[in-house]
Amino acid sequence: MAQSDQSADWQPELEELAFRRRQSELLGGDDAVRKHHEQGRLTIRERIGGLVDAGSFQEVGRLTGQGRYEGAALVGVTPAPYVMGLARIDERPVALGGEDFTVRGGTSWSGDRKKGGQGGFVEDLAHQYRIPLVNLIDGSGGSVTSIQRRGHSVFPGVHGFERSVQLMGEVPVVCAVMGTAAGGPAGRAILSHWSVMVRDTSQVFAAGPPVVERSLGQKITKEELGGHKLAVDVAGTIDNVAASEQQCFEMIRRYLSYMPANVWELPPVVSSGDPADRCEDALRGIVPRNRRQPYDMRKLIGLVVDRDSAFEIQPSFGRAVITCLARMNGKTVGIVANNPAIYGGAIDVKAARKQTHFVELCDTFHIPLVFLVDVPGFMVGKDAEAAATLREGMRSVYVGLQASVPIFTVVIRKCYGMAGMGATDKNGLDLKIAWPSAEWGSLPIEGGVAAAFRREIAQAPDPRAREQQLEEELRAAASPFRTAEAFGVEEIIDPRETRQYLCRFIDAAQARLRTTVGPKARYGVRP
Amino acid sequence: MATYEAKSEVTGSVWKIVTEVGQKLEPGDTLMIIESMKMEIPVIAEDGGIVAEFRVSEGVPVTEGQVVAVMEG
Repeated sequence: MAQSDQSADWQPELEELAFRRRQSELLGGDDAVRKHHEQGRLTIRERIGGLVDAGSFQEVGRLTGQGRYEGAALVGVTPAPYVMGLARIDERPVALGGEDFTVRGGTSWSGDRKKGGQGGFVEDLAHQYRIPLVNLIDGSGGSVTSIQRRGHSVFPGVHGFERSVQLMGEVPVVCAVMGTAAGGPAGRAILSHWSVMVRDTSQVFAAGPPVVERSLGQKITKEELGGHKLAVDVAGTIDNVAASEQQCFEMIRRYLSYMPANVWELPPVVSSGDPADRCEDALRGIVPRNRRQPYDMRKLIGLVVDRDSAFEIQPSFGRAVITCLARMNGKTVGIVANNPAIYGGAIDVKAARKQTHFVELCDTFHIPLVFLVDVPGFMVGKDAEAAATLREGMRSVYVGLQASVPIFTVVIRKCYGMAGMGATDKNGLDLKIAWPSAEWGSLPIEGGVAAAFRREIAQAPDPRAREQQLEEELRAAASPFRTAEAFGVEEIIDPRETRQYLCRFIDAAQARLRTTVGPKARYGVRP
Repeated sequence: MATYEAKSEVTGSVWKIVTEVGQKLEPGDTLMIIESMKMEIPVIAEDGGIVAEFRVSEGVPVTEGQVVAVMEG
Protein backbone atom coordinates (compact mmCIF):
# COMPACT_ATOMS: atom_id res chain seq x y z
CA MET A 1 0.00 0.00 0.00
CA ALA A 2 1.31 3.41 -0.88
CA GLN A 3 2.30 5.68 2.02
CA SER A 4 0.12 8.69 2.67
CA ASP A 5 1.63 11.80 1.17
CA GLN A 6 0.38 13.78 4.13
CA SER A 7 3.57 14.12 6.22
CA ALA A 8 3.30 14.24 10.01
CA ASP A 9 4.32 17.85 10.45
CA TRP A 10 4.10 18.97 14.09
CA GLN A 11 5.88 22.23 13.39
CA PRO A 12 3.24 24.52 14.99
CA GLU A 13 3.23 22.51 18.19
CA LEU A 14 7.04 22.34 18.30
CA GLU A 15 7.18 26.11 17.84
CA GLU A 16 4.74 26.53 20.70
CA LEU A 17 6.86 24.22 22.85
CA ALA A 18 9.95 26.28 22.06
CA PHE A 19 8.07 29.49 22.86
CA ARG A 20 6.81 28.13 26.16
CA ARG A 21 10.32 27.02 27.07
CA ARG A 22 11.71 30.47 26.30
CA GLN A 23 9.02 31.95 28.52
CA SER A 24 10.19 29.80 31.45
CA GLU A 25 13.69 31.27 31.07
CA LEU A 26 12.29 34.76 31.63
CA LEU A 27 11.36 33.96 35.22
CA GLY A 28 9.34 36.83 36.71
CA GLY A 29 10.41 39.31 34.01
CA ASP A 30 13.31 41.70 33.56
CA ASP A 31 12.25 44.14 36.30
CA ALA A 32 11.77 41.45 38.92
CA VAL A 33 15.09 39.81 38.03
CA ARG A 34 16.91 43.15 38.17
CA LYS A 35 15.46 43.93 41.62
CA HIS A 36 16.45 40.46 42.80
CA HIS A 37 20.02 40.98 41.57
CA GLU A 38 20.16 44.41 43.19
CA GLN A 39 19.56 42.74 46.53
CA GLY A 40 22.68 40.69 45.99
CA ARG A 41 20.82 37.51 45.15
CA LEU A 42 21.02 35.12 42.23
CA THR A 43 17.95 33.81 40.45
CA ILE A 44 16.92 30.20 40.95
CA ARG A 45 18.23 29.24 37.51
CA GLU A 46 21.57 30.92 38.25
CA ARG A 47 21.68 29.11 41.57
CA ILE A 48 21.10 25.72 40.01
CA GLY A 49 23.68 26.53 37.33
CA GLY A 50 26.21 27.50 39.99
CA LEU A 51 25.65 24.40 42.08
CA VAL A 52 25.48 21.41 39.73
CA ASP A 53 27.88 19.89 37.22
CA ALA A 54 27.92 21.99 34.05
CA GLY A 55 25.10 21.06 31.67
CA SER A 56 23.72 18.36 33.96
CA PHE A 57 20.39 19.96 34.91
CA GLN A 58 17.40 18.11 33.51
CA GLU A 59 14.41 20.21 34.41
CA VAL A 60 11.04 18.69 35.25
CA GLY A 61 7.91 20.78 34.91
CA ARG A 62 9.41 23.45 32.68
CA LEU A 63 6.05 24.35 31.15
CA THR A 64 4.28 24.95 34.44
CA GLY A 65 2.82 28.38 35.04
CA GLN A 66 -0.01 30.65 34.16
CA GLY A 67 -0.65 31.04 30.43
CA ARG A 68 -1.80 34.39 29.10
CA TYR A 69 -4.13 34.21 26.13
CA GLU A 70 -5.73 36.63 23.70
CA GLY A 71 -8.73 34.73 22.59
CA ALA A 72 -7.32 31.31 21.87
CA ALA A 73 -3.84 32.63 21.10
CA LEU A 74 -1.07 32.20 23.66
CA VAL A 75 0.80 35.46 24.23
CA GLY A 76 2.91 34.56 27.23
CA VAL A 77 3.39 32.35 30.28
CA THR A 78 4.22 33.45 33.81
CA PRO A 79 6.27 30.54 35.11
CA ALA A 80 5.38 28.67 38.25
CA PRO A 81 7.46 30.03 41.14
CA TYR A 82 9.44 26.83 41.59
CA VAL A 83 12.18 25.32 39.40
CA MET A 84 13.32 21.74 39.97
CA GLY A 85 14.59 18.55 38.41
CA LEU A 86 17.43 16.12 38.22
CA ALA A 87 21.12 17.05 38.07
CA ARG A 88 24.55 15.75 38.91
CA ILE A 89 26.93 16.97 41.59
CA ASP A 90 30.44 15.57 41.23
CA GLU A 91 28.97 13.15 38.70
CA ARG A 92 26.43 11.74 41.17
CA PRO A 93 22.69 12.28 40.63
CA VAL A 94 20.69 14.55 42.90
CA ALA A 95 17.15 15.87 42.99
CA LEU A 96 17.09 19.60 43.51
CA GLY A 97 14.82 22.59 43.31
CA GLY A 98 14.05 25.99 44.69
CA GLU A 99 11.53 28.79 44.79
CA ASP A 100 11.71 31.49 42.13
CA PHE A 101 11.44 34.64 44.20
CA THR A 102 10.98 36.77 41.09
CA VAL A 103 7.54 35.23 40.56
CA ARG A 104 5.22 36.45 43.32
CA GLY A 105 8.00 36.17 45.90
CA GLY A 106 8.19 32.40 45.51
CA THR A 107 4.79 31.87 47.14
CA SER A 108 2.88 28.65 46.66
CA TRP A 109 1.27 27.95 43.31
CA SER A 110 -1.99 26.21 42.45
CA GLY A 111 -1.03 23.54 39.93
CA ASP A 112 -2.47 20.04 39.80
CA ARG A 113 0.63 18.69 41.47
CA LYS A 114 3.07 20.43 43.79
CA LYS A 115 6.53 20.86 42.28
CA GLY A 116 8.62 21.50 45.38
CA GLY A 117 8.58 22.10 49.09
CA GLN A 118 6.99 19.55 51.37
CA GLY A 119 5.19 16.85 49.41
CA GLY A 120 6.37 18.19 46.06
CA PHE A 121 7.50 16.19 43.04
CA VAL A 122 11.14 16.88 43.85
CA GLU A 123 10.73 15.06 47.18
CA ASP A 124 9.06 12.13 45.41
CA LEU A 125 11.98 12.06 42.97
CA ALA A 126 14.52 11.82 45.80
CA HIS A 127 12.42 9.16 47.54
CA GLN A 128 11.68 6.99 44.52
CA TYR A 129 15.17 7.11 43.03
CA ARG A 130 16.93 7.13 46.41
CA ILE A 131 19.13 10.10 45.58
CA PRO A 132 20.09 13.12 47.68
CA LEU A 133 17.72 16.09 47.82
CA VAL A 134 18.91 19.69 47.72
CA ASN A 135 16.38 22.42 48.53
CA LEU A 136 17.36 25.99 47.60
CA ILE A 137 14.85 27.85 49.75
CA ASP A 138 13.74 31.37 48.97
CA GLY A 139 10.07 31.74 49.83
CA SER A 140 7.66 32.77 52.49
CA GLY A 141 5.13 29.97 52.26
CA GLY A 142 1.44 30.54 52.55
CA SER A 143 -0.39 33.84 52.33
CA VAL A 144 -3.81 34.81 53.59
CA THR A 145 -4.56 35.94 50.04
CA SER A 146 -5.06 32.28 49.18
CA ILE A 147 -8.35 32.43 51.10
CA GLN A 148 -9.61 34.94 48.53
CA ARG A 149 -8.31 32.83 45.65
CA ARG A 150 -9.69 29.53 46.84
CA GLY A 151 -12.81 30.77 48.58
CA HIS A 152 -11.94 28.79 51.69
CA SER A 153 -9.14 28.46 54.25
CA VAL A 154 -6.82 25.47 53.84
CA PHE A 155 -6.43 23.13 56.80
CA PRO A 156 -2.80 22.84 58.04
CA GLY A 157 -1.13 19.77 56.60
CA VAL A 158 -2.99 19.54 53.29
CA HIS A 159 0.54 19.72 51.92
CA GLY A 160 2.13 18.02 54.89
CA PHE A 161 5.64 17.09 55.89
CA GLU A 162 5.09 13.30 55.68
CA ARG A 163 7.47 12.78 52.77
CA SER A 164 9.99 15.25 54.19
CA VAL A 165 10.11 13.21 57.40
CA GLN A 166 10.36 9.93 55.50
CA LEU A 167 13.32 11.25 53.53
CA MET A 168 15.27 11.90 56.73
CA GLY A 169 15.74 8.16 57.11
CA GLU A 170 16.43 7.46 53.44
CA VAL A 171 18.62 9.95 51.57
CA PRO A 172 20.83 12.94 52.41
CA VAL A 173 18.71 16.09 52.57
CA VAL A 174 20.41 19.48 52.29
CA CYS A 175 18.52 22.71 52.75
CA ALA A 176 20.08 26.04 51.83
CA VAL A 177 18.25 29.19 52.87
CA MET A 178 19.03 31.58 50.02
CA GLY A 179 16.65 34.42 50.82
CA THR A 180 14.03 35.22 53.43
CA ALA A 181 12.27 32.04 54.54
CA ALA A 182 9.24 32.07 56.79
CA GLY A 183 6.45 29.62 57.54
CA GLY A 184 6.43 26.38 55.56
CA PRO A 185 9.70 26.93 53.67
CA ALA A 186 11.43 27.82 56.95
CA GLY A 187 10.06 24.66 58.54
CA ARG A 188 11.15 22.70 55.50
CA ALA A 189 14.71 24.02 56.00
CA ILE A 190 14.85 22.42 59.43
CA LEU A 191 13.82 19.00 58.12
CA SER A 192 17.28 18.37 56.74
CA HIS A 193 20.44 16.55 57.64
CA TRP A 194 22.46 19.67 57.03
CA SER A 195 21.40 23.27 56.49
CA VAL A 196 23.20 26.41 55.45
CA MET A 197 22.31 30.06 54.92
CA VAL A 198 24.01 33.01 53.25
CA ARG A 199 25.43 35.86 55.32
CA ASP A 200 23.46 39.13 55.13
CA THR A 201 21.18 38.07 52.27
CA SER A 202 19.19 35.32 53.96
CA GLN A 203 16.98 35.13 57.02
CA VAL A 204 14.88 32.38 58.54
CA PHE A 205 12.08 32.51 61.11
CA ALA A 206 8.72 31.00 61.93
CA ALA A 207 7.14 34.39 61.23
CA GLY A 208 8.58 37.66 60.01
CA PRO A 209 8.70 41.17 61.52
CA PRO A 210 5.10 42.22 60.66
CA VAL A 211 3.64 39.20 62.45
CA VAL A 212 6.01 39.70 65.41
CA GLU A 213 5.02 43.32 65.74
CA ARG A 214 1.32 42.50 65.57
CA SER A 215 1.64 39.61 68.04
CA LEU A 216 4.09 40.98 70.57
CA GLY A 217 4.51 44.64 69.80
CA GLN A 218 8.20 44.09 69.10
CA LYS A 219 9.75 46.18 66.36
CA ILE A 220 12.61 44.22 64.91
CA THR A 221 14.38 43.95 61.58
CA LYS A 222 14.36 40.71 59.66
CA GLU A 223 18.14 40.47 60.01
CA GLU A 224 17.88 40.82 63.80
CA LEU A 225 15.06 38.28 63.89
CA GLY A 226 16.46 35.64 61.59
CA GLY A 227 19.88 36.59 60.22
CA HIS A 228 22.84 34.26 60.62
CA LYS A 229 23.98 35.80 63.90
CA LEU A 230 20.79 34.61 65.55
CA ALA A 231 19.81 31.60 63.45
CA VAL A 232 23.27 30.03 63.22
CA ASP A 233 25.41 31.36 66.07
CA VAL A 234 22.85 31.73 68.86
CA ALA A 235 19.98 29.37 68.08
CA GLY A 236 21.57 26.66 65.92
CA THR A 237 18.39 26.70 63.83
CA ILE A 238 20.58 26.52 60.73
CA ASP A 239 23.91 24.67 60.84
CA ASN A 240 26.41 26.73 58.85
CA VAL A 241 26.73 30.14 57.24
CA ALA A 242 28.30 30.87 53.86
CA ALA A 243 29.93 34.19 53.00
CA SER A 244 28.28 34.27 49.56
CA GLU A 245 25.93 32.24 47.40
CA GLN A 246 28.94 30.89 45.51
CA GLN A 247 30.55 29.69 48.73
CA CYS A 248 27.21 28.18 49.72
CA PHE A 249 27.26 26.04 46.56
CA GLU A 250 30.82 24.93 47.29
CA MET A 251 29.81 23.95 50.81
CA ILE A 252 26.83 21.93 49.55
CA ARG A 253 29.06 20.06 47.11
CA ARG A 254 31.59 19.46 49.85
CA TYR A 255 28.97 18.16 52.30
CA LEU A 256 27.50 15.75 49.77
CA SER A 257 30.96 14.42 48.90
CA TYR A 258 31.04 12.67 52.30
CA MET A 259 27.59 11.16 51.93
CA PRO A 260 26.28 8.00 50.30
CA ALA A 261 23.44 8.43 47.80
CA ASN A 262 21.11 6.78 50.30
CA VAL A 263 21.09 4.66 53.45
CA TRP A 264 21.27 1.43 51.43
CA GLU A 265 24.82 2.34 50.40
CA LEU A 266 28.07 3.16 52.16
CA PRO A 267 29.69 6.58 51.73
CA PRO A 268 32.07 6.87 48.78
CA VAL A 269 35.73 6.02 49.37
CA VAL A 270 38.25 8.40 47.82
CA SER A 271 41.95 8.11 47.23
CA SER A 272 43.30 10.54 49.80
CA GLY A 273 46.97 10.41 48.82
CA ASP A 274 47.74 10.86 52.51
CA PRO A 275 49.64 7.93 54.05
CA ALA A 276 47.64 6.12 56.72
CA ASP A 277 50.83 5.76 58.78
CA ARG A 278 51.70 9.46 58.72
CA CYS A 279 53.07 10.44 62.13
CA GLU A 280 52.91 14.06 63.22
CA ASP A 281 55.49 15.09 65.81
CA ALA A 282 53.36 18.12 66.64
CA LEU A 283 50.86 15.80 68.34
CA ARG A 284 53.41 14.81 70.95
CA GLY A 285 53.45 18.21 72.61
CA ILE A 286 50.00 19.53 71.76
CA VAL A 287 48.49 18.85 75.19
CA PRO A 288 50.03 21.11 77.86
CA ARG A 289 51.26 19.46 81.05
CA ASN A 290 49.34 22.12 82.97
CA ARG A 291 45.90 20.53 83.11
CA ARG A 292 44.29 23.95 83.36
CA GLN A 293 45.58 25.12 80.02
CA PRO A 294 43.51 24.58 76.90
CA TYR A 295 44.96 23.67 73.52
CA ASP A 296 43.85 23.84 69.91
CA MET A 297 41.59 20.84 69.32
CA ARG A 298 40.94 21.86 65.70
CA LYS A 299 44.66 21.72 65.02
CA LEU A 300 44.75 18.28 66.62
CA ILE A 301 41.93 17.08 64.37
CA GLY A 302 43.72 18.43 61.30
CA LEU A 303 46.86 16.50 62.20
CA VAL A 304 44.99 13.21 62.61
CA VAL A 305 42.52 13.06 59.69
CA ASP A 306 43.36 12.98 55.97
CA ARG A 307 44.95 16.31 54.98
CA ASP A 308 42.40 19.12 54.49
CA SER A 309 39.53 16.66 54.75
CA ALA A 310 37.73 18.12 57.79
CA PHE A 311 34.41 19.87 57.15
CA GLU A 312 33.03 21.36 60.32
CA ILE A 313 29.30 21.24 61.03
CA GLN A 314 27.87 23.99 63.26
CA PRO A 315 31.25 25.63 63.97
CA SER A 316 29.74 28.62 65.77
CA PHE A 317 27.05 26.86 67.83
CA GLY A 318 27.55 24.67 70.89
CA ARG A 319 31.26 25.35 70.69
CA ALA A 320 32.22 23.13 73.62
CA VAL A 321 31.99 20.30 71.09
CA ILE A 322 33.53 20.27 67.61
CA THR A 323 31.74 18.11 65.05
CA CYS A 324 33.21 17.48 61.61
CA LEU A 325 32.90 15.17 58.71
CA ALA A 326 36.35 14.09 57.61
CA ARG A 327 38.17 11.21 55.97
CA MET A 328 40.66 8.69 57.26
CA ASN A 329 42.51 6.71 54.64
CA GLY A 330 39.84 7.92 52.20
CA LYS A 331 36.85 6.71 54.23
CA THR A 332 34.27 9.12 55.63
CA VAL A 333 34.31 9.45 59.41
CA GLY A 334 32.46 11.67 61.85
CA ILE A 335 34.64 13.44 64.40
CA VAL A 336 33.18 14.48 67.75
CA ALA A 337 35.82 16.35 69.72
CA ASN A 338 35.51 18.24 72.98
CA ASN A 339 36.90 21.74 72.87
CA PRO A 340 38.94 22.51 76.01
CA ALA A 341 39.00 26.21 75.11
CA ILE A 342 35.24 26.50 75.75
CA TYR A 343 34.32 25.74 79.35
CA GLY A 344 37.06 23.15 79.49
CA GLY A 345 35.02 21.04 77.07
CA ALA A 346 32.10 20.66 79.49
CA ILE A 347 28.93 19.70 77.66
CA ASP A 348 26.29 22.42 77.84
CA VAL A 349 22.81 22.36 76.36
CA LYS A 350 23.88 23.59 72.95
CA ALA A 351 26.86 21.27 72.69
CA ALA A 352 24.66 18.33 73.70
CA ARG A 353 22.05 19.19 71.09
CA LYS A 354 24.73 19.48 68.43
CA GLN A 355 26.29 16.17 69.41
CA THR A 356 22.91 14.41 69.41
CA HIS A 357 22.15 15.50 65.85
CA PHE A 358 25.62 14.69 64.56
CA VAL A 359 25.76 11.21 66.09
CA GLU A 360 22.34 10.40 64.65
CA LEU A 361 23.42 11.74 61.25
CA CYS A 362 26.52 9.54 61.18
CA ASP A 363 24.66 6.50 62.44
CA THR A 364 21.97 6.93 59.78
CA PHE A 365 24.49 7.08 56.94
CA HIS A 366 26.85 4.37 58.26
CA ILE A 367 29.67 6.80 58.99
CA PRO A 368 31.99 5.53 61.76
CA LEU A 369 32.39 7.94 64.65
CA VAL A 370 35.65 8.99 66.26
CA PHE A 371 35.36 10.64 69.66
CA LEU A 372 38.38 12.74 70.61
CA VAL A 373 37.64 13.05 74.28
CA ASP A 374 38.55 15.82 76.67
CA VAL A 375 35.40 16.24 78.70
CA PRO A 376 35.17 17.07 82.40
CA GLY A 377 31.45 16.24 82.36
CA PHE A 378 28.22 18.10 81.86
CA MET A 379 28.29 21.86 82.41
CA VAL A 380 27.52 22.79 86.01
CA GLY A 381 25.94 25.82 87.67
CA LYS A 382 22.49 27.35 88.06
CA ASP A 383 22.34 28.63 84.49
CA ALA A 384 23.23 25.19 83.16
CA GLU A 385 20.60 23.50 85.32
CA ALA A 386 17.98 26.08 84.34
CA ALA A 387 18.73 25.37 80.71
CA ALA A 388 18.14 21.61 81.27
CA THR A 389 21.72 20.61 80.56
CA LEU A 390 21.19 17.33 82.36
CA ARG A 391 18.22 16.40 80.21
CA GLU A 392 19.76 17.48 76.91
CA GLY A 393 23.06 15.88 77.94
CA MET A 394 21.38 12.56 78.72
CA ARG A 395 19.57 12.79 75.40
CA SER A 396 22.95 12.89 73.67
CA VAL A 397 24.08 9.92 75.75
CA TYR A 398 20.85 8.07 74.87
CA VAL A 399 21.30 8.64 71.14
CA GLY A 400 24.95 7.59 71.39
CA LEU A 401 23.94 4.37 73.09
CA GLN A 402 21.38 3.65 70.37
CA ALA A 403 23.91 4.15 67.59
CA SER A 404 25.04 0.92 65.95
CA VAL A 405 27.77 2.36 63.74
CA PRO A 406 31.34 1.58 64.94
CA ILE A 407 32.59 4.17 67.42
CA PHE A 408 36.25 4.71 68.26
CA THR A 409 37.16 6.51 71.45
CA VAL A 410 40.45 8.34 71.81
CA VAL A 411 40.90 9.88 75.24
CA ILE A 412 43.12 12.90 74.81
CA ARG A 413 42.88 14.24 78.34
CA LYS A 414 39.80 14.23 80.56
CA CYS A 415 37.03 11.65 80.30
CA TYR A 416 34.63 11.99 83.17
CA GLY A 417 31.14 11.03 84.15
CA MET A 418 28.08 10.56 82.02
CA ALA A 419 29.42 12.78 79.25
CA GLY A 420 32.51 10.57 79.08
CA MET A 421 30.39 7.43 78.93
CA GLY A 422 28.46 8.95 76.04
CA ALA A 423 31.70 8.99 74.05
CA THR A 424 32.12 5.22 74.03
CA ASP A 425 30.84 2.29 71.97
CA LYS A 426 28.87 0.37 74.57
CA ASN A 427 26.86 -1.51 71.94
CA GLY A 428 29.91 -2.49 69.93
CA LEU A 429 33.59 -3.22 70.39
CA ASP A 430 33.95 -0.55 73.08
CA LEU A 431 37.46 0.20 71.83
CA LYS A 432 39.02 2.93 73.92
CA ILE A 433 42.53 4.11 73.25
CA ALA A 434 44.17 6.84 75.24
CA TRP A 435 47.07 9.23 75.21
CA PRO A 436 49.47 9.31 78.17
CA SER A 437 47.85 12.62 79.13
CA ALA A 438 44.53 10.88 79.70
CA GLU A 439 42.66 10.78 82.98
CA TRP A 440 39.20 9.48 83.78
CA GLY A 441 36.71 8.64 86.44
CA SER A 442 33.20 9.28 87.60
CA LEU A 443 34.11 12.89 88.32
CA PRO A 444 37.31 15.00 88.23
CA ILE A 445 39.54 14.59 91.26
CA GLU A 446 39.47 18.28 92.21
CA GLY A 447 35.75 18.57 92.86
CA GLY A 448 35.49 14.91 93.83
CA VAL A 449 37.96 15.20 96.71
CA ALA A 450 36.20 18.23 98.10
CA ALA A 451 32.90 16.32 98.12
CA ALA A 452 34.05 12.87 99.24
CA PHE A 453 36.49 13.98 101.98
CA ARG A 454 34.58 17.03 103.14
CA ARG A 455 34.68 16.19 106.87
CA GLU A 456 38.32 15.05 106.83
CA ILE A 457 39.40 18.22 105.03
CA ALA A 458 37.40 20.45 107.37
CA GLN A 459 38.91 18.84 110.46
CA ALA A 460 42.51 19.04 109.22
CA PRO A 461 44.80 21.68 110.76
CA ASP A 462 45.37 23.08 107.28
CA PRO A 463 42.29 22.13 105.22
CA ARG A 464 43.65 23.46 101.93
CA ALA A 465 46.93 21.54 102.33
CA ARG A 466 45.04 18.35 103.21
CA GLU A 467 42.82 18.73 100.16
CA GLN A 468 45.85 19.12 97.90
CA GLN A 469 47.57 16.13 99.53
CA LEU A 470 44.51 13.95 98.94
CA GLU A 471 44.28 15.14 95.33
CA GLU A 472 47.92 14.24 94.70
CA GLU A 473 47.52 10.78 96.26
CA LEU A 474 44.48 9.99 94.19
CA ARG A 475 45.97 11.42 91.00
CA ALA A 476 48.95 9.09 91.28
CA ALA A 477 46.62 6.10 91.56
CA ALA A 478 44.53 7.40 88.63
CA SER A 479 47.39 7.04 86.14
CA PRO A 480 46.03 5.77 82.81
CA PHE A 481 48.75 3.12 82.76
CA ARG A 482 47.22 1.45 85.81
CA THR A 483 43.86 1.17 84.04
CA ALA A 484 45.66 -0.23 80.99
CA GLU A 485 47.22 -2.92 83.23
CA ALA A 486 43.67 -4.01 84.04
CA PHE A 487 42.59 -3.80 80.36
CA GLY A 488 40.05 -1.23 81.48
CA VAL A 489 41.24 0.80 78.53
CA GLU A 490 42.39 -1.20 75.53
CA GLU A 491 45.53 0.75 74.64
CA ILE A 492 47.69 3.69 75.57
CA ILE A 493 49.39 5.10 72.49
CA ASP A 494 52.01 7.64 71.59
CA PRO A 495 49.90 10.58 70.29
CA ARG A 496 51.82 10.38 67.01
CA GLU A 497 50.38 6.90 66.43
CA THR A 498 46.75 8.10 66.59
CA ARG A 499 46.17 8.33 62.85
CA GLN A 500 47.77 5.01 62.07
CA TYR A 501 45.87 3.23 64.83
CA LEU A 502 42.50 4.67 63.85
CA CYS A 503 43.02 4.05 60.12
CA ARG A 504 43.69 0.36 60.81
CA PHE A 505 40.44 -0.05 62.70
CA ILE A 506 38.36 2.09 60.34
CA ASP A 507 39.65 0.04 57.41
CA ALA A 508 38.82 -3.17 59.24
CA ALA A 509 35.32 -1.96 60.09
CA GLN A 510 34.37 -1.61 56.41
CA ALA A 511 33.49 -5.30 56.13
CA ARG A 512 31.09 -5.03 59.02
CA LEU A 513 29.62 -1.77 57.71
CA ARG A 514 28.75 -3.47 54.42
CA THR A 515 26.57 -5.94 56.33
CA THR A 516 24.51 -3.32 58.15
CA VAL A 517 23.38 -0.94 55.41
CA GLY A 518 19.73 0.07 55.17
CA PRO A 519 17.41 2.23 57.25
CA LYS A 520 18.06 2.34 60.99
CA ALA A 521 15.06 1.54 63.13
CA ARG A 522 14.61 3.98 66.01
CA TYR A 523 12.71 2.83 69.06
CA GLY A 524 11.99 4.06 72.52
CA VAL A 525 11.39 7.57 73.71
CA ARG A 526 14.23 10.04 73.89
CA PRO A 527 14.48 11.55 77.36
CA MET B 1 42.28 55.27 65.03
CA ALA B 2 40.07 52.20 64.74
CA THR B 3 39.18 50.42 67.93
CA TYR B 4 37.76 47.02 68.63
CA GLU B 5 36.44 45.21 71.68
CA ALA B 6 37.97 42.10 73.15
CA LYS B 7 35.36 39.75 74.63
CA SER B 8 35.45 36.80 76.98
CA GLU B 9 34.42 33.61 75.23
CA VAL B 10 33.25 32.07 78.48
CA THR B 11 31.53 32.80 81.77
CA GLY B 12 33.99 32.71 84.67
CA SER B 13 36.21 35.14 86.56
CA VAL B 14 39.24 37.19 85.61
CA TRP B 15 42.22 35.25 86.91
CA LYS B 16 45.17 37.26 85.61
CA ILE B 17 45.57 40.35 83.47
CA VAL B 18 48.87 39.73 81.71
CA THR B 19 49.12 43.03 79.80
CA GLU B 20 49.05 46.74 80.62
CA VAL B 21 47.24 49.74 79.19
CA GLY B 22 49.37 51.20 76.42
CA GLN B 23 51.11 47.91 75.68
CA LYS B 24 51.45 46.96 72.00
CA LEU B 25 50.31 43.43 71.15
CA GLU B 26 50.74 41.25 68.10
CA PRO B 27 47.66 39.54 66.60
CA GLY B 28 46.86 36.46 68.68
CA ASP B 29 48.62 37.67 71.84
CA THR B 30 46.95 36.94 75.17
CA LEU B 31 45.36 39.94 76.90
CA MET B 32 44.18 38.27 80.07
CA ILE B 33 43.20 34.87 81.41
CA ILE B 34 39.70 33.93 82.50
CA GLU B 35 39.25 31.07 84.94
CA SER B 36 36.26 28.96 83.95
CA MET B 37 35.44 25.37 84.83
CA LYS B 38 38.89 25.14 86.49
CA MET B 39 40.51 26.01 83.17
CA GLU B 40 42.63 28.97 82.17
CA ILE B 41 40.94 30.40 79.12
CA PRO B 42 42.88 33.20 77.41
CA VAL B 43 41.27 36.32 75.97
CA ILE B 44 43.08 36.97 72.71
CA ALA B 45 43.77 40.28 70.99
CA GLU B 46 42.78 38.87 67.62
CA ASP B 47 44.00 41.77 65.52
CA GLY B 48 46.78 42.94 67.85
CA GLY B 49 47.16 46.68 68.51
CA ILE B 50 47.53 48.82 71.61
CA VAL B 51 45.65 48.10 74.83
CA ALA B 52 43.45 51.19 75.29
CA GLU B 53 41.30 50.23 78.25
CA PHE B 54 40.42 47.37 80.56
CA ARG B 55 36.77 47.03 81.45
CA VAL B 56 37.40 44.45 84.19
CA SER B 57 39.90 43.81 86.97
CA GLU B 58 41.36 40.64 88.41
CA GLY B 59 38.94 38.57 90.44
CA VAL B 60 35.72 39.94 89.00
CA PRO B 61 33.15 37.64 87.41
CA VAL B 62 32.56 37.89 83.65
CA THR B 63 29.89 36.47 81.41
CA GLU B 64 30.15 34.93 77.98
CA GLY B 65 30.52 37.62 75.33
CA GLN B 66 31.28 40.39 77.86
CA VAL B 67 33.64 43.11 76.67
CA VAL B 68 36.75 42.93 78.87
CA ALA B 69 39.08 45.31 77.05
CA VAL B 70 39.20 47.85 74.25
CA MET B 71 42.01 47.72 71.72
CA GLU B 72 43.24 50.35 69.31
CA GLY B 73 44.16 48.78 66.03
